[in-house]
Amino acid sequence: MSVADIFTVVAVGAGCFFFLAGTAGLLRFPDSLTRLHALTKADNLGLGLIVLGLLPQATGLLGALKLLAVWVLVQLSSATVAQVIAQALRRRGPSS
Amino acid sequence: MTDFLLAAAGFILLTVAIGLARILRGPENVDRTMAAQLLGTGGIATLLLAAAATGVRGAEDVALGLALLAAFASVAFVTSVTPPSGDDPS
Amino acid sequence: MSTTVAIGRATLFFALWLMIAGYRLADVPVGVAAAALATWASLRLMPPGTLRLRLWSLASFGVHFLGQSVSAGIEVAWLALRPSMPLRPGFVTWRPRLQSASARNAFCAVSSLLPGTLPAGSDDDGALLIHCLDVDQPVADNLTAEEQLFGRMIGHD
Repeated sequence: MSVADIFTVVAVGAGCFFFLAGTAGLLRFPDSLTRLHALTKADNLGLGLIVLGLLPQATGLLGALKLLAVWVLVQLSSATVAQVIAQALRRRGPSS
Repeated sequence: MTDFLLAAAGFILLTVAIGLARILRGPENVDRTMAAQLLGTGGIATLLLAAAATGVRGAEDVALGLALLAAFASVAFVTSVTPPSGDDPS
Repeated sequence: MSTTVAIGRATLFFALWLMIAGYRLADVPVGVAAAALATWASLRLMPPGTLRLRLWSLASFGVHFLGQSVSAGIEVAWLALRPSMPLRPGFVTWRPRLQSASARNAFCAVSSLLPGTLPAGSDDDGALLIHCLDVDQPVADNLTAEEQLFGRMIGHD
């Protein structure tokens, strides 16, 4: 196993851990707004770590850049979407 | 390496499925919009891992498309279910 | 001025398109059309001069932001996996100092990925309502410090 492969295993493994934590938060947190925190922050970090881990496995510079583009797009969209949903949840009022 | 990446993809798919089951219980449609967010990150992570494991061309493009669609879907849905008002930070 | 901005943005969009679609001569017209449409949309939605990025501050803010987003993930994971789950969720009102609306919106997007905070709209006199995982943290002070860093990056200090 090469150094690059070990890096991939560590980073992807850490990414999996944060997806697990995000789902644990979804199941355990008491209301929708707190669950939204779990979803946006833990899963975002999970995806970031997985992208980081896949970089050494990418086919050439183009493949690596594409992976980074996916990550940047997801960051931008989830930052925007999270606050739009949060606003909608707040206006609906605390019901769960 | 292929086995590891596929196992990781399967694991994340499982966490997404469990999270999805929770989100779809609602209680209301606004709460369910979070499903798009969950699929937007978890689905993309699964796709990227599967693409790296199998070397299938074009899977990254599907991930890119999903990233864009998840964002549009949530914004469109939220603006359709909430009444318009002056309160708008975004 | 606006022509330079338009050409710069068009070049950027075309480079992005090449990166995603790959380079094939037969496909280039599609890429040019896509870049033109994207430039048109971006000039309509974000006219030149709304945000002036400083490259050096952008890089240092990027590094800082990555660190913050890692600690945000760790904080949530810690809360979610601990048996006792020490959550104290609630709203904190916070008044942004950034003057321009577009800068404020951009900062809101950034702050939704910072540890413990999630902007959830504004009240009637312009203050933001921030949903927090722990209302005992100095949320407002932290946000003001982050806002200052952010303002420096976009040249609003």
